[in-house]
Amino acid sequence: MYPRIVLLIFLGGLSLSAKSQQWENTPQISGNFQANANFFIRDSLIGAANTPQYDRQLYGAEGWLNLNYSNWGFDFGLRLDVFNNSNLLNPTDSYSGEGIGNWFVRKRIGDLELAGGYIYDQIGSGIIFRAFEERPLLIDNALRGFKLKYFFNDNLSVKAFTGRQKQLFDTYDSVIKGINFEAFLEPDPRSGLTLAPGLGIVNRTLDDGSMNALVASINTYTPEQAFVPNYNTYAFTFYNTLTTGGFTWYLETAFKTEDAINDPFAELIIGGDTTTTDRFINQPGSVLYTSLAYASRGLGITLEAKRTENFTFRTRPQVQLNRGLVNFLPPMARVNTYRLLARYNAATQELGEMALQADMSYAPKRNLRFNLNISNIWNLENELLYRELFTEASFKPNKTTSVKAGVQFQQYNQRIYEFKPGADLLEGWTPYLDVLMEIGNRRALRLEAQYKIVGENEANGLKQDYGDWAFVLAEYSVAPDWTFSISDMYNLTPGENSPIDASGRRRGLHYPRLDVSYTRGTNRFDLSYVKQVEGVVCTGGICRLEPAFSGFRFTVNSSF
Amino acid sequence: MQALLKNWGYKDRRKDKACLVSTVWACLVSVQVLALVCLASGCSEIPPVINPVGQTEMPVDSTARKVLIEEFTGVRCVNCPAGTAEVLRLQDQYQGQVIAVALHAGSFAQPYPDSEVDFRIPETASLLTYLKSPLGYPSAVVNRRLFEGERDLQLSKSLWPVFVEEEASRPAEVQLELVVQYNDTDRELLVDVAMTALQEITAEPLKLSVMLVEDRVSDVQLTPGGKQSDYVHRHNLRDMLTAFNGNGINGGLPLAETINRNYFYTLPPEWRAEACAIIAFVHLDGEVKDVLQVEKRKLIE
Repeated sequence: MYPRIVLLIFLGGLSLSAKSQQWENTPQISGNFQANANFFIRDSLIGAANTPQYDRQLYGAEGWLNLNYSNWGFDFGLRLDVFNNSNLLNPTDSYSGEGIGNWFVRKRIGDLELAGGYIYDQIGSGIIFRAFEERPLLIDNALRGFKLKYFFNDNLSVKAFTGRQKQLFDTYDSVIKGINFEAFLEPDPRSGLTLAPGLGIVNRTLDDGSMNALVASINTYTPEQAFVPNYNTYAFTFYNTLTTGGFTWYLETAFKTEDAINDPFAELIIGGDTTTTDRFINQPGSVLYTSLAYASRGLGITLEAKRTENFTFRTRPQVQLNRGLVNFLPPMARVNTYRLLARYNAATQELGEMALQADMSYAPKRNLRFNLNISNIWNLENELLYRELFTEASFKPNKTTSVKAGVQFQQYNQRIYEFKPGADLLEGWTPYLDVLMEIGNRRALRLEAQYKIVGENEANGLKQDYGDWAFVLAEYSVAPDWTFSISDMYNLTPGENSPIDASGRRRGLHYPRLDVSYTRGTNRFDLSYVKQVEGVVCTGGICRLEPAFSGFRFTVNSSF
Repeated sequence: MQALLKNWGYKDRRKDKACLVSTVWACLVSVQVLALVCLASGCSEIPPVINPVGQTEMPVDSTARKVLIEEFTGVRCVNCPAGTAEVLRLQDQYQGQVIAVALHAGSFAQPYPDSEVDFRIPETASLLTYLKSPLGYPSAVVNRRLFEGERDLQLSKSLWPVFVEEEASRPAEVQLELVVQYNDTDRELLVDVAMTALQEITAEPLKLSVMLVEDRVSDVQLTPGGKQSDYVHRHNLRDMLTAFNGNGINGGLPLAETINRNYFYTLPPEWRAEACAIIAFVHLDGEVKDVLQVEKRKLIE
């Protein structure tokens, strides 16, 4: 019934617009389409097995068809989501479902903008509220409700919203609402000084079901560990961007009132003599985040710092991993794109983190550029969680060739990020080289080589985690239509967690990949054969452990 | 200030200035008021009643249904010992009204090279598929019921207490009498299950599942302190005397009529009879999979 009503609203909008178009502005329709189809080929040795897709379904797909229509001062949006035996929701399970994943109606009436339906928005950098979509992790936490935005003038506005967070084709029961003031100030246009301050408040009211479950859990605690939870939690933020000359300084400070949050490391006493971990705690939270950027000709520097304490903010305290996120904490480590450089990622630690990051780019000549990134992340007990030193030199010796080379150093606390007890701080050095050569009319060849050397576990004499890796890639492209690439990731020196074959030997395995891409206009088709090692996949600062993949993958992207 | 006014879209006239000032004041005052309202209402909400019981035992209602908690676990799951501890605590709290079975299945259940026991059996893998894989371990299914507000049968640890309590307070729909006769000489056992409907049951298909569990098996387990070679694994599913999703009860359960089912089984020599028990439960097997009643008997009482 509900999807039909949505469809009626959308079609009603189209019909209304069609009638009115003779005396109003021209209607506009736009949209895009994305679909992935995975064909699973079981490979027990790399761990690509024991899921419904590998065992019997053999195929899984997901797709999104998004339509936007504007006319008569209205904007309409509608998105059809389809999941067929998809492993996107839960990498070890299969999910099928289809329906209206997003719809909205938006209208500007004078200085007031009204929106109803699914709302994607954020306050500041998202520290207290961010409703967003990340398809690779199937995060889609739009609010289903209303949003009002009033423009006092071009430089001062206030927005308010209320709704419940989306949960696939349903919603969670908790109610989330908020208000946000934003301004832009330029005291003297000649000085170049501008300020963009903002203030936001978000409230989440727990539903009775979530509260009952929470109370039942707390009732199992000892009186010393028990607490009285609040139905209402408030988060406040103040932020400002100051720009002058080549400098941009962003500062955001956020505070959250007492909230029942899950602490997987908090001790839980059971029966007076058994101690385990993982329980709810009732704590206020805070985040202080700042970034200072300087840019001038050939030089760019960004310095960032962030302190986080107990800033888990979920639509209900029982949800885990990347579900039910009300907010988004900006990541404080470089987002790497090269395969081996992105092997270990620092997921944002909501409960406690102190992080510093510096990113520098310097181009002494037009054909030469140096990049340097340093990030350090500790927990609040001063234990190192993540450290990265990334260097890169880009050189273009002539019109047809460009070369990138560099080295990355990482220290990664696998014990904290992946809950692997006893794991040493993983260390890795990764040199890499990327050469792009234009070899004739619209043809180019790109070669990539990376080598990851990890440290040894002193206790067993084995290389840490999966050991050393080598990666090579060759990509041939015929602009603008075709791209062909072949790559292999090889576990050169297997480590303590590498797969063991029937003979008890640690196997160094190949993870080959073949890709063909065809692009014509706004349509893009990708067909890949993939063997992918298990690993932590992150989007921004949100990560989850992804099992190995073996099979074919077909992707279509289109827009109109 | 004049430049600021221009920037904000106001002309440098006195009344515009007054208008701007009042707008800014209005914003600031509204924020202050909102903050105060928020804080004040936060303080004034009527809180839930907390009654931390710790290990206080709950009285058992003899007419209430027993609760089956199927705990999905694995030897490589670092947080699963905490899950088992919570299951044991619930069992203590509800004094025999909670019946637990540990199902070793999924990627976390793959034995270590130094494991002596592979707890995985085809039925655990089938049940993981049947009850759907959880997002993370430990996870448990309580009476195979999809509770209001939940998307999955699989429940994270923090949700077990509320739903065990909910199930334990519901009246039983079926009475189960379970008799287990075990002959230690030839290690053969006879299981007799007598089922009597206490209410009219119209939902179908109705099935009976019979499990054999072995308690307290010492073997390797990953724990927060590292790999522990002598971890005591509790209530492990070893085999099923029925199909993994139960055997059909043809004709259903007519009200107040007792239906019997018998099963014979020979206990493998490597399993300790004194640690083994039979769990039998009547359940639905359609879109709804609710367990209507469950019972447990040790081979050797």
